[in-house]
Amino acid sequence: MTFSLPTLAEPSAFTLGEKLLFLSLAAASAALFARRFAPILRTILRARRDPDFHLSPIGRRVWEFFWEVMCQAKVIRQRPLPGLAHAFVFWGFCAFALVTLNHCAIALGIGFLSPQGWFSRFYFYLAAAFALACAAGITGLFIRRFLVRPRWLGKKLSWESGFIALLIFALMATYLAAFFVADASAASRWLWWTHTLTLLIFLPIIPHTKHLHLVLSPATVFLSRGGFSKIPPLAGDEDFGLVAGTDVTQIAALQAYSCVECGRCTEHCPAANTGKVLNPKEVVLGLRSYLNELGPASPEPLLGKYNSQEAVFQCTTCGACEFQCPVGIEHLPLIIGLRRGAVNTGAWEDDHGAKLFLALERGSNALGLSASERDKFIQKEAFPAFDGTQEYCLWLGCMGAYDPKGREIVADFARIMNHLGTRYGVLRKEKCTGDPVRRLGNDLLFQQLAESNLELLAQNKVRKIVTICPHCVRTIAEDWKEFGAPPEIEHHSEFLARHMAQLPASQNTEKVVFHDPCYLGRYRNVYDEPRAVVEHAGERVEAPRSRERSFCCGAGGGLAFLGEETGERVSHVRAAELAATGAATVATACPFCNTMLRDALAAQDTAPQLVDIAQLTARALPPAAPPAAI
Amino acid sequence: MSGVWVVLEERDGRVSRISWEALAAGQALAARLGLAVSAVVPCAQTEAPSVEAAAKSVEKVVRIEHPLLAPYTPDAFTLALEQFFRSAEPDFIVFPHSYQVRDYAPALAARFSRVLIGDVTGIADGPAFQRQLMQGRLTGEYQPNGAGPHFVSVQSGAFRADQVAASSAPVETFAPVIEPAQIRTRPGAPFRASAQTVDLASAPLIVSVGRGIKEADNLPLVQELATALGAELAASRPICDNGWLPIERQVGSSGQTVAPRLYLAVGISGAIQHIVGIKGSQCIVAINKDPDAPIFEVADYGIAGDLFEVVPALTEAIKAAKP
Amino acid sequence: MKIVVAIKQVPERDAQVRIDAAGKWIDEADLQWALNESDAYALEEALRLKEGHGGEVIVLSAGPERVGTTLREALAKGADRAIQIDADDLGQRDVLNVAQLLAAAIKPENPDLILTGLQSDDLGYGQTGVILAELLGLPHASLILHVEQSDSGLTVKRELEEGWFQTIEMQTPALLTIQSGGNKLRYATLMGIKKAKTKELRRISAAELGVAPAQIVTLNRLTVPHKQKSTQMLSGTPKEAAATLVEKLKFEARVL
Repeated sequence: MTFSLPTLAEPSAFTLGEKLLFLSLAAASAALFARRFAPILRTILRARRDPDFHLSPIGRRVWEFFWEVMCQAKVIRQRPLPGLAHAFVFWGFCAFALVTLNHCAIALGIGFLSPQGWFSRFYFYLAAAFALACAAGITGLFIRRFLVRPRWLGKKLSWESGFIALLIFALMATYLAAFFVADASAASRWLWWTHTLTLLIFLPIIPHTKHLHLVLSPATVFLSRGGFSKIPPLAGDEDFGLVAGTDVTQIAALQAYSCVECGRCTEHCPAANTGKVLNPKEVVLGLRSYLNELGPASPEPLLGKYNSQEAVFQCTTCGACEFQCPVGIEHLPLIIGLRRGAVNTGAWEDDHGAKLFLALERGSNALGLSASERDKFIQKEAFPAFDGTQEYCLWLGCMGAYDPKGREIVADFARIMNHLGTRYGVLRKEKCTGDPVRRLGNDLLFQQLAESNLELLAQNKVRKIVTICPHCVRTIAEDWKEFGAPPEIEHHSEFLARHMAQLPASQNTEKVVFHDPCYLGRYRNVYDEPRAVVEHAGERVEAPRSRERSFCCGAGGGLAFLGEETGERVSHVRAAELAATGAATVATACPFCNTMLRDALAAQDTAPQLVDIAQLTARALPPAAPPAAI
Repeated sequence: MSGVWVVLEERDGRVSRISWEALAAGQALAARLGLAVSAVVPCAQTEAPSVEAAAKSVEKVVRIEHPLLAPYTPDAFTLALEQFFRSAEPDFIVFPHSYQVRDYAPALAARFSRVLIGDVTGIADGPAFQRQLMQGRLTGEYQPNGAGPHFVSVQSGAFRADQVAASSAPVETFAPVIEPAQIRTRPGAPFRASAQTVDLASAPLIVSVGRGIKEADNLPLVQELATALGAELAASRPICDNGWLPIERQVGSSGQTVAPRLYLAVGISGAIQHIVGIKGSQCIVAINKDPDAPIFEVADYGIAGDLFEVVPALTEAIKAAKP
Repeated sequence: MKIVVAIKQVPERDAQVRIDAAGKWIDEADLQWALNESDAYALEEALRLKEGHGGEVIVLSAGPERVGTTLREALAKGADRAIQIDADDLGQRDVLNVAQLLAAAIKPENPDLILTGLQSDDLGYGQTGVILAELLGLPHASLILHVEQSDSGLTVKRELEEGWFQTIEMQTPALLTIQSGGNKLRYATLMGIKKAKTKELRRISAAELGVAPAQIVTLNRLTVPHKQKSTQMLSGTPKEAAATLVEKLKFEARVL
């Protein structure tokens, strides 16, 4: 018995009429594509150039492109099942590039893949395998969108998505079917034309729908700003951030058009999940609508019809959106850019916001408390003054210096350093790093604070900083770079993890759940160090949303200072989730998380204890550790 | 020259408490310099204040009487006192440092090409006068140069009114010449902020309650204390979250920022969000069970004890201390 | 309306104040300076009046070189122009003399309204505005929280003691001293700072104004009060503690 594998059937030679029909249909399809795509491209190119954009280092870009686009790593990792389905469709498209080229060439009699050749045979089978996977993938995505209907895809069913799914399915089906009909048969001709027509209908739909991401998102990923929540510097005397269309940069425009409306950003957004107006997807789409209607040369304010001021000031800058986005959209520079536009021009009027700004205009800390309170605390704890000889400058931060809970954390961390014999000192004239004003878009204050702190650090010859506040870490390490070279800085979780071996372990076996602070995790990529510290002190358990997907406490982005939130409190949602793990202790590594979760946990029926990882570690220290010999 | 003159202020037909304190200061100054003390009461027609003053240990009391002295205007007071002191030629003029005095005394002193030493808390050799600078962080000693009259106003509470000895003195009347056209401002009747709305931001006295109260049913205990003090009732966030008190009464970073003369925190542990809202208070008192509660860090006076015992005792003590 | 706002630069609220070697003034080295708080409210009131009715806001300040920074900040917040009186010798001038300086600079401007803050955060005299009105022969009102411009002049809200207020009507030109808290202050913006660079800041020396330094009252010496702020814990039975507290609130803190 012989078994021969089926061969891909090709229609027999085309008549001149058919050739002309094909060419004119293809031309029409291409024209329809260009009619929409050309203005989009023009809009992007007419936008302002990004002031700080550099193509180098190119290696990073190539790698990101390979990993995120070719391997679909982010798409799969963040949503494994639909991600994989999407990857199959994507890889199917890639595999089909050659097949489609050949498919069109056949009509003109210049087909280059002969069904009999060994390479072609192999390639057609390979493509067939991808086609099967792609068909399965698109079916899966169809079922998800139309039957499962996750809420972040929006309430409205997208019929265009259904139609596109149908087209993709038809493309795959017509390709696979050609293996089962006779070469040069009428059926093969019918399949060829069906496949071709599907293709030519698909092409012009791309720029008219979110499927534009097929064309743009590879470019978006390649042209990323390079850095999480990287806020571009202001260029010149007329740049106040994103005020009007004229301020929109090419990269921002490209990103706006790349959005695939998958809703991952919304799904993870703490504001969108607690009944606020803010929906990060709508912010991006709002910008797109603005560009579509008014274009990048418009003096019309960006905040108004298409995006609301209320929404952009509800952002905690937790960065879950930007971290999740599979097409490389950078939400934070956009949202913070819009805030900059509103704050730098004085358009944002908010009592709490103004109070925060005035506190920092007139004083040294965001809480508006007197510096003498800070001095009293330093005196009480007998922290040595930094004199240039110690290894570390212990940066207190506003919370560490003024918040009763923050002070406990700093005091415990200092005890640990004393125990280790680490030499450190504190600066009396430390000012707020500018984190809240940076995130709220007040460039004037941020620059003043960054510059005066940089000067203070240089005067005191500080080379290494350690602090309990991830917001200070991020702002000093990254945001200050615009104004000078900050000293090396590390978060106390990194310090503690490195010294774990020299610190006594706890005999405690209580369950401890670690809450990842956004500014430590997503902003600094520090996940394992605090966990190592937690494991040293008890049995670690994980919250449903942890590590990269951790859910914000609600304090970031200056929101800790902006008064009561509308809707549900973010901190309460997170506290309930942490309490539900059954852990006896909630550990965190940020004084802002600590203060937000404190009240929120107290409101739970069975409130777990709340501690910082430094306090967890300090518990195991011998009582009344003697100060290190200096 | 005619010694030390103390300007007494009339309030609701009586001499105000702070005026007696100014008189005590005037007597202390006069004793130091060996001068006589007299009192002067500018008022429209009432005799009562000058009669009251005449029962104190002063050389004489002068009632400056003119219908245009009521209601108070800086123009009328400056004119009246200028005319009187031009004739009386005092060495020192002592005022209570009241809102009214702050409004006209600097101008009055300027008419004599003099400078008022205001808000004085003590008298030293020289004589020199002590007053606070840099918002209480420093004390400065001021000396007037040249011949009198020298103008001094004394801080409320700096001198003890009960140290003014009783005696009896003659009352004279002085009638200044004031034309209606010389009064350039038209004051309206005093009013209070609407009683319906809670205005914690401008409340001079606040009693605030926190989680330590345990149940809504216990709130009357604290309300009674507030009533006894004549204070507004406020709360920390958990109390308002529970709906025990309306949100307008919430103090802290997500509620009201307050700056009362006295902030009395009952059962409030002192989270930073709360402390941020009360930092402008002149005097903070905390009552809390936990002696380590952070509220004690910012308090001027603290009682570490059970609020269910301390608050009723305090209510009684305040009622007892009321004149 | 043409409004002059007289403002003062004072040590920043957080400044760590030390007494200088002579014991007569604070050590100014290393100090950071800011706009006096109630002056910020005076400026805010002036800006609101201008925004509501049109006109011009002129900020005026006397002091050494550094005063220019504070004037620039005021321009950044929306004032139209600034006058800086160069005087390095404020320490040798008492409040009457400083008011004479300000009056000499204001006179040629002929403003409809002059605003000052209620009092300064450093010296705390609370007199400059009232004396200025006297020197310029203008009606005044102090402790003002709110200003309304009417057909016949001004209607202002004045703070009295113990939570009472009163409304006062007056003609312009006039002088008002502004109490903190009547308005919400605006924050400084990047755009404001950039615009301020193009606004006029005129400098004039104290000598040109013809006001020589003089002191009727001199500050002889400065001391740090013995009583540092620390918490007094009151012990005893609840009844005893309550009695002690009332006594202390009355006679020590003097808040009852």
